Amino acid sequence: MIELKKFWWMIKKDILVLFRHKARLISMIVFPILMIALCGYGMGGDLTNSQIVIVKQTDGQLTDQTIAAIKADDTYKVDTVITDPKEAKDKVDNGEEKAAIILPADYEDKNSSKNVLLYIDSSDQTATSSIVPKTEALFAKLSSELETQMATPQNPIAQTTNSIKLQVDKIYGDIDYIDFLLPGVLAMSMFMSSMFSMGNSIAGERERGELARLFMTPTSIATVIGGKIVSHLSIEFVRSIILIISAIALFGVVLNGSVVLLLLLLILATLCFVGFGTMFSATAKSQEDYTQMIMPFTMPMMFISGVFFPIETMPWILQKLAYVVPLTYANDALRAVMLQGAGIGDIAIDILVLLGFTVLFFAIAVKRFNRDI
Amino acid sequence: MKYAIETNNLTKVYDNGFKAVNELNLNVENKTIAGILGPNGAGKTTTIKMLTCIIQKTSGSAKVAGYDITKEPNQVREEIGMVPQLVSLYEDLTVRENVELCADFYGLKPDTKEKRIEDLMELVDIKYAENKFISQLSGGMKQKTSVVASLVHRPQILFLDEPTVGLDPTTKRVLWDLMEDLNEKGHTIILCSHDMYEVDKICDTLSIINQGTLAVKDTPQGLKDSLLENKKENNSIIRSMIQDLEQDEDEDHKEEIESLKASITNEDEEITAIVTNITEEMINDLETLDTVKYVEQVANGRITLALKKSENSVNKVITTILRNNGNIASIKTNDPTLEDVFINLTAKKRKEIKN
Repeated sequence: MIELKKFWWMIKKDILVLFRHKARLISMIVFPILMIALCGYGMGGDLTNSQIVIVKQTDGQLTDQTIAAIKADDTYKVDTVITDPKEAKDKVDNGEEKAAIILPADYEDKNSSKNVLLYIDSSDQTATSSIVPKTEALFAKLSSELETQMATPQNPIAQTTNSIKLQVDKIYGDIDYIDFLLPGVLAMSMFMSSMFSMGNSIAGERERGELARLFMTPTSIATVIGGKIVSHLSIEFVRSIILIISAIALFGVVLNGSVVLLLLLLILATLCFVGFGTMFSATAKSQEDYTQMIMPFTMPMMFISGVFFPIETMPWILQKLAYVVPLTYANDALRAVMLQGAGIGDIAIDILVLLGFTVLFFAIAVKRFNRDI
Repeated sequence: MKYAIETNNLTKVYDNGFKAVNELNLNVENKTIAGILGPNGAGKTTTIKMLTCIIQKTSGSAKVAGYDITKEPNQVREEIGMVPQLVSLYEDLTVRENVELCADFYGLKPDTKEKRIEDLMELVDIKYAENKFISQLSGGMKQKTSVVASLVHRPQILFLDEPTVGLDPTTKRVLWDLMEDLNEKGHTIILCSHDMYEVDKICDTLSIINQGTLAVKDTPQGLKDSLLENKKENNSIIRSMIQDLEQDEDEDHKEEIESLKASITNEDEEITAIVTNITEEMINDLETLDTVKYVEQVANGRITLALKKSENSVNKVITTILRNNGNIASIKTNDPTLEDVFINLTAKKRKEIKN
């Protein structure tokens, strides 16, 4: 009962302070919305080396010419050329490949129009926005060359019968960049906010002597850390919901997955990030110390975790690093639930990794926590 | 329980290797007001932090209110209150919110909590500002709030680490009265201070800590008396210290030397009187007294006399002045002050360590 009162006080104190600093409160809510707006409307650009698979169902000169043209274009990184369209679609569905270019069975037939299918993972909006127009341009050029080759004064009709048509199949429908960005910005803002507020909450209070006042009372480290976590979790959770509602209301963002799963993910991700911050602030003597300690981790994490750019497009060393930071898994899981409507089974690995990180961070935080003020 | 505090070779070595407290053996009697004095960096605050379980000891042991600070820290925390050097209250919470937070952290029941908060706020006269944020308060008001927050659970022992620094004389007196009131009600007060007047006025015993160890413990009067008895010895130590410092060409000790020079006490018993209507006859009569070594007349009616040690030497001087129709406006002896004791003892310790 007493411990509950202590928990309640720590939540109450943080909420009171937040509402007494209006500028801080407004900034907390407005910053991520501004980020979404700026990124959604202001960013874009081409990507290179997106992983794709090519399906060829016949052999011939045109097939070879097409595959060579695709391989020559640095938009794509052709992992493999296979013959089964279903296998290729499965590879895209399970995230192994960004897209599949499926050449039809009649691709070498000189008397028919050819329908090439671009099967693409549209939940990765950055990749989609780059691959679709590039592929359309590539096949338009191939079609034009083919028409020129086939057209003769004796058979002018071949010009139309030998064209290549590209059909685009976006597996998650049309997704705007802002839809793609929301989960990432959500994860990132939770991460940044958790990191900075834990600095103030523990290292800052230690520096100002406020933590000493709590530790003068018969209160355990676990209660103080627990209270800080519950307090921050509550604030961050409410903020995330405001952010999602704002994104839906202001920018028409589409939410495809389960809301309950999304909320659970938000809690888990925030818990993990709070743990990360607590781990550092456990020993920091001042807020300045804490800021210097977390800087080398926070800034790179923001850029390598796939919030703004797909991980696959990064240099290999950054790709390896991306998979050892929790933000990547939070980002991936949120994106899967919000854009692809993924269920708990689809994001099981992300959840397990986030849980693992959370346990690890808290274990280190409690072990290293310095009660000495 | 005879002692509120008992330490046995209590030692604190910080991570950087600095030994702030060195095998300290300090006992504080129950239900007394005990002053802890010492120069800056002597280890006073570190000692208090260890005794209040804010930092951990490196070695040795200590009991506070009968509980071991390492084995039973929560029992210690239940029995103590602490008014720290720097006010440790939440700046963005109000006076009442800060105190309520502390009360709930000590697990007070709602009814008890409300009554105690009301009583304490009335007692230190901060009730009128209960809804003000700490950030809006003056230093004195913050310190009063800190006192209320520290007393809300009715601790047996109250630690105060330089509580009156920067406070106006009226607020100082409020805190002194409060300490004396609490002591009368049976609380033990541990006061860490640099204010010699303060500790002289309210403390029953004084412990002077120097270089992390206990230099001396006595009553304020006991300390002054012992200095009086050892004037010559002490002056010789101080002179030797000054000589050492003057010979040290590596560092500038000008300030320290001045302070030491000021602490050299006159080995003669000396009185200074401000007298109106001084006549040559009066001076001659004073000079002929068998208990007077010399008479020095300075401006503004001030007469300084060096006296031979004798029970009635001061009486004889007063009688002679009055007999010569002089009016005594004030008379002052050169008895040692606590400041003399403090400087003397800390200088002595430094000399011992240097040797």
